[in-house]
Amino acid sequence: MSTSQASNLSPQSTPGRSITLRVNGESRSVECHDRQLLVEVVRDQLALKGTHVGCMNGDCGACTLELDGQIVKSCLMLAASADGGEVNTVESLGSPDELAPVQEAFWNNDGFQCGFCLPGHLFAARNLIESNDAPSDDEIREAIAGNLCRCTGYQSIVCSIRDAAASARAESPRASV
Amino acid sequence: MTETITPRFVATDDPRPESVRPELEQIRRKDGDLMLTGRGGYLDDTVLPGMLHAAILRSPYAHARIRGIDTSAAEAASGVRFVLTGAQAKDQTSPIPHYFDPALVGGRTADFRPLAVDEVIYAGEPVAAVVGVTLNDAEAAVALIEVDWEPLPFVIDAEKALEQGAPKVFDTWEDNAMIRLPFVEGNAGPIIDSAKHTLEGELRIQRYQTAPLETRGYIASWGTDGRLTLHASAQNPHPLRSHLSKTLGMPENQIRVIAPRVGGGFGHKFHGYPEEPLVALLSRAVGAPVKWLETRAECMLVGAREFIHRFKVAYDEDGKILALRDRIIADIGALGASGGWGMAFIAGMALPGPYRVKHYDVESTAVVTHKAPWNGARSYGKESAALAYERIMDLVAAELSLDPAEIRRRNFIPPEEFPYWTSMKHLDSGEYAAALDHVLKLGGYDQLREEQAQARSQNRLVGVGVGFELTPEGGDFSGTLLRGFDTSTVRMDPTGTVTVLTGVTSPGTGNETGIAQVVAAELGVSPHDVTVVQGDTDRCPYGYGNFSSRSMTVGGAAALLAARDVRATLVTAAGVLLETTPEQVRLAHGRASVVYEPDRNLSIEELTRAVFVRTLAVHGLDQAQLESTRTYAPSNVHNVPDELGRSSPYPSFPYSAHVSTVEVDRETGLVKLQNYAGVHDCGTIINPKMVEGQFLGAITMGIGGALWEELKYAPDGRLATKSFKHYLMPRANDLPWIKVGHEVTPSPFAMLGMKGVGESGVAGAIASLANAVNDALRPLGAVIDQMPLSAPNVLAAIRRAERS
Repeated sequence: MSTSQASNLSPQSTPGRSITLRVNGESRSVECHDRQLLVEVVRDQLALKGTHVGCMNGDCGACTLELDGQIVKSCLMLAASADGGEVNTVESLGSPDELAPVQEAFWNNDGFQCGFCLPGHLFAARNLIESNDAPSDDEIREAIAGNLCRCTGYQSIVCSIRDAAASARAESPRASV
Repeated sequence: MTETITPRFVATDDPRPESVRPELEQIRRKDGDLMLTGRGGYLDDTVLPGMLHAAILRSPYAHARIRGIDTSAAEAASGVRFVLTGAQAKDQTSPIPHYFDPALVGGRTADFRPLAVDEVIYAGEPVAAVVGVTLNDAEAAVALIEVDWEPLPFVIDAEKALEQGAPKVFDTWEDNAMIRLPFVEGNAGPIIDSAKHTLEGELRIQRYQTAPLETRGYIASWGTDGRLTLHASAQNPHPLRSHLSKTLGMPENQIRVIAPRVGGGFGHKFHGYPEEPLVALLSRAVGAPVKWLETRAECMLVGAREFIHRFKVAYDEDGKILALRDRIIADIGALGASGGWGMAFIAGMALPGPYRVKHYDVESTAVVTHKAPWNGARSYGKESAALAYERIMDLVAAELSLDPAEIRRRNFIPPEEFPYWTSMKHLDSGEYAAALDHVLKLGGYDQLREEQAQARSQNRLVGVGVGFELTPEGGDFSGTLLRGFDTSTVRMDPTGTVTVLTGVTSPGTGNETGIAQVVAAELGVSPHDVTVVQGDTDRCPYGYGNFSSRSMTVGGAAALLAARDVRATLVTAAGVLLETTPEQVRLAHGRASVVYEPDRNLSIEELTRAVFVRTLAVHGLDQAQLESTRTYAPSNVHNVPDELGRSSPYPSFPYSAHVSTVEVDRETGLVKLQNYAGVHDCGTIINPKMVEGQFLGAITMGIGGALWEELKYAPDGRLATKSFKHYLMPRANDLPWIKVGHEVTPSPFAMLGMKGVGESGVAGAIASLANAVNDALRPLGAVIDQMPLSAPNVLAAIRRAERS
């Protein structure tokens, strides 16, 4: 089994270009077609399979990644428009040997079942906690409302994010005001 | 609030003394670290060298004749390797075997091929397929295929389909009624006709589906040895292989089906789809691996759960149901070979639920229409039955001014009457009233009623809904490859690690974790040292995969039996090495020790190594088999009718009780779910966190189906719902905190007393919400019997009441 694939690159089809991205900390140059979506380039040319495709419509959030510090749904963005950008995918959050606290929290709370929706929920959780390390349940639910999960009913995700926020508070307690 | 309970792990048939019985180590979900870091390995992540991509031309018409197909422009298009039409595909295949052939139960049947030949019978039916170097190439070429269509009359409404002269879906059938399934006991008709109190009603349930986040997909590749490998996002890999063997006319052992990690199944990934053999044909034709991945719009073609109930009940002054009649119509679409239509069977069979109704007359009619076929959907028709019996309970309660909880208590089958025969079900055990009382307490029912009274005095439409569901599980259908038993192998190696190979699969449900827990406990190792292999027909014993909440109760039990065999070898060897009897050996925490002298011990690794390297070299060490394969079947399946003609395909009957509160906006019809509590009983619990996760997920799926989810057809016979912008599923901010409680009434018939978890919750949630919304509308005199309880449907009910 090869590790990379260019399923949407064929010689005679649409116009293309070379783009450069900083992907999970490494500079990568890839050839892509102008019509290719960022999620396609990340999955096919860059062979990063952790970013999933659930709807190709921006509804489910399974394709979420971070571009220049903002979380985006990568099925809603042309790859060419990310040229020069810094991309962090779910693979950048932690490794199996060294999970990020938010990942540990999801595992401890059974915050996923089939795992397909994880990119959106993990990035949304991290994003929320960075700006608010003591979110209410309502704030957590609002923060993940752009993502669909069909397995958990979200409650264990809410618990996961509560826990992740608590560990973030424990790690860097805010100066009292 | 969430209640947790400590799992018990004592098998009723376990002969061992307490001192050597295993302890369950609770662990987190297996492979969680991989899934959390983007290393899950789903179907779409599989890349084979030289892999090409397929796209499918689908019928734009609900019913049409194909007068001709011109594929020349598509074949000449850039990047195109192959184009296949229906006639060509037919020449290379036999009909796709049915997941559950209606002919087995006396119904009409039909043959299905990978691509339509001459005629299409639903919009979205596959007509031709293109293989391209890229998916874009294939999709572009699909648009170049020219079909000479002759549109024909069609029918997409089940009741119209039953009318004289309706367009027929299958020419060779007399009409569109595929089967009428009676479920009858006693004399319901005369009792209803002569009863003092009767009540009748109607329920209409929309077409909807499970919409797993990962759509279906298949990758076929043929080896130089002529062997076919199909990577498939499938719930039942072995039966899929058996069926492929029939369709393709090749020996089954020349096919390998690999189901990688599945991103949600819920019945959508039962097999019988035309794309399974189609991808194999395409790959064989081009001599390269070919991949097809379902688009979200294609996924939404798959239907389920569209029913009409017309019921009439007789009851006495105390609210006891004396007799029940229900006429059910199921709009199953154009049948297909996939596993959906059986929901029409279960929708009838699951009545009268948990209630002691001795006279019932239920008939479920499965009707074909020119809509896409069904496939399985979590709850599998049980949600349809539950909505009917739970609405009936509330309607009767309202007539008698009884509390909805009280009328259920009066009608429940009492605990002392189990096992209990009713409508093709031999109910195992249950404390139904206890579960109901538990949920009322958990949900704060009395207070909810007080708050409701207060809200009503302020003219607000607040409703409280009780729902109860009985969930037949572990189904065993003789004559099909949907069986109630399953097989697991447990294997230890010289370094003491354990591998389980099992015929059950986990589309995200987590049974691999539970299986590892029970096997580890038997062998005295950590579940982390147990690897569970599933979904590979070359490696795993033949098994039936994932359906009917069965994987832990049968695959887990089979693994436990096999682990006990391996344990017997281990304790015998340990007895020799520790100079004691096998009965005195305890396996725990990675060590074998003597029960009352724990200092006399050796590690499991030393023990397994000794079995491999010293057997027949040490006196008494003469058994070297650290591997066992066992098949387990629960004992409460009755395929052979008894002397009274009774049979029951389901061995286990978990149940759940629900209470919810809603507020309805009378100007818009919008329903706001405010409170929710659920209590379930699935017998013995192995992993409380995962059981709770299954229940919460089921409840949420039920909430979505009750309130929003709908696959709508346009008058032109085409599906109008094509994305999650139209198909509205619950999001986190739509839901209140769901309180969950557990009751544990072990099954006396199943190993460890497990009854199965996964489906239970969907039906109770739907019933609870339907009752809550109707309760909210009561001050207006409005009744809603059209599902879902969406704003337009609720508003229509309000307007109807205002007019009358």
